Amino acid sequence: MTAIDPMLETPRRVLRNSGAAWRRLFDSPLNVALSLLVLAAAAMAVPPLFKWAVLDAAFLPATPQTCQAHAGACWSFIVAKHSQILFGIYPLDERWRPAIVCVGLIGLLIYSVRPSSWRRGLLVAWLVMMVAAQVLMGGGIFGLTPVSTALWGGLPVTLILTVVAIGGGFPLAILLALARRSELPALRVLSTIFIETMRGLPLLSILFIASIMLPLLLPAALVPDKLVRALIALLLFAAAYMAEVVRGGLQAIPRGQYEAAAALGLGYWRTQQKVVLPQALNVSIPALTSTIIVMIKNTSLVLVVGLFDLISSGKSALADPTWRSPAIETYIFISAIYFVLCFGFGRFAESFERRNKVSR
Amino acid sequence: MVEQSSASMAVAIEGVHKWYGDYHALRGVDLAVAPGERIVICGPSGSGKSTLIRCINQLEHHEQGVITVNGAVSRNEPKAARAVRREVGMVFQSFNLFPHLTVLENCMLGPMWVNRTPRAVAAETAMGLLERVRIPDQAHKYPGQLSGGQQQRVAIARALCMNPKVMLFDEPTSALDPEMVKEVLETMLRLAEDGTTMLVVTHEMGFARQAADRVIFMDQGQVLETAPPAEFFGAPRHPRTQAFLGQLIR
Ligand SMILES: Nc1ncnc2c1ncn2[C@@H]1O[C@H](COP(=O)(O)OP(=O)(O)O)[C@@H](O)[C@H]1O
Ligand SMILES: [Mg+2]
Repeated sequence: MTAIDPMLETPRRVLRNSGAAWRRLFDSPLNVALSLLVLAAAAMAVPPLFKWAVLDAAFLPATPQTCQAHAGACWSFIVAKHSQILFGIYPLDERWRPAIVCVGLIGLLIYSVRPSSWRRGLLVAWLVMMVAAQVLMGGGIFGLTPVSTALWGGLPVTLILTVVAIGGGFPLAILLALARRSELPALRVLSTIFIETMRGLPLLSILFIASIMLPLLLPAALVPDKLVRALIALLLFAAAYMAEVVRGGLQAIPRGQYEAAAALGLGYWRTQQKVVLPQALNVSIPALTSTIIVMIKNTSLVLVVGLFDLISSGKSALADPTWRSPAIETYIFISAIYFVLCFGFGRFAESFERRNKVSR
Repeated sequence: MVEQSSASMAVAIEGVHKWYGDYHALRGVDLAVAPGERIVICGPSGSGKSTLIRCINQLEHHEQGVITVNGAVSRNEPKAARAVRREVGMVFQSFNLFPHLTVLENCMLGPMWVNRTPRAVAAETAMGLLERVRIPDQAHKYPGQLSGGQQQRVAIARALCMNPKVMLFDEPTSALDPEMVKEVLETMLRLAEDGTTMLVVTHEMGFARQAADRVIFMDQGQVLETAPPAEFFGAPRHPRTQAFLGQLIR
């Protein structure tokens, strides 16, 4: 277990060989032509971009006048409006609360990346974190002013949607995948119907059903909060997609593994937990990573049902008439946040996969 | 042979029939195995040898007849099947080790999660049995890093860790390169000397001669002949046994 993973050596080896990689760019007439073409394109694109984003850009003081005085990017707007973009229409005086939630969620996400932290305690930490997020954001106890979910917005909403949809959707996905392969016909049929329905409908329509139709169909007292409805819709949607990925992994496990587990006397759940799922999930990591990254980005679709995620709060910040509406800069800022989230998750999945490769 | 009650038998198989759909794979098999007895089962491919020993621990379910292991009835019902499996160790042709676990963890899985043995105790038992199959130095490797012969010896140790009353082997050396057959057979011979009750499906007639108390010949889902090895090889009675043994002689 303490053996050095040969895979961990790869990046360094690539770096050491970067001279060879350079040479390969020019080792044939076609490669020379292609490399020159790329270099020319870069030479044309990079200087103007640099001029716009840095040299001519407006930074401080963060006022509309600074932006008018500069021809380049209006970063002053981001500086002035970052709080509104990050936290939407959450009451100004209370923004420290979503700020703590964001720091907490991101901190816990980063902590969870370390394999040494994967213990039962981590699950408890996540449950505590989710309760704390609800208390901090919603208030109403401990002397915190109540803030309705209609006023929540920006990064904390995106993070909460992501964590709940994927964190809650993943265990459900495993159960759905197992049910779809079950020997009990009823379970198999139910799981198949659910998965195929969810995959057959666009996420937009599922969100609409959850947020608009549900209140029409249910008595008012039974209708959950709008955010909760969107959360459930995202969770079920993510679960259906992830279930099919997990099922693909389950199919890769040979029958002999089940037989060996059965011969030892292991029951169904122990066999799944100790023998089948560790192998099946490991096989599914690449496909699962793509699915999860798509789901992270899907959370932005909640804007159609009137929830303020990062993109919609960015849009509403742009509505301020005193600025000349620097949309490109705002979306670059928001894209950067999404990129960090998705790229970070991708790296996490990669390290997870590499760790498990040791055993191959 | 003196008639004994099935309760005192390690394995008692009485009138067992098994169908795969329309295909009648076992046609009324009877076999009683006394504690400590070593049985070798041979016969042509497709004769039902695997099916028979897999019915003992309910990896296959028989439709007719009764199988008991140490007096406990082995039947197609989760609780009963698990109770029997706890008493019966099995070694497969294709090893079926768990590739994501180390050799030691492979051996600890059953004791820890079936018998609820504490980790430290399970590890100690597992090390002891890895020593018995003579690969304690491989304990922290993964199955993929071992040779076929080593993997099969780990599979034997993994089964022994559950302290089974009966060991089943389904062609344990058929998937091995010739030079590795010997190390596995030697391990099995040592088990036999220790008085382990064994049912072994194999075509290794040397092993049968040396270790078996009885050799059983199966064909088309039936037991055609049962005899001590000297008699089985020296004077086979059934014509099909004679034909089968004739083919085996190089
Ligand atoms: N799962 C199965 N489904 C259908 N037929 C099977 C199955 N397993 C085995 N059989 C058939 O049953 C017969 C006995 O098989 P098996 O017990 O594996 O024979 P042996 O181990 O003696 O070679 C064979 O004809 C085989 O084709
Ligand atoms: Mg067979």
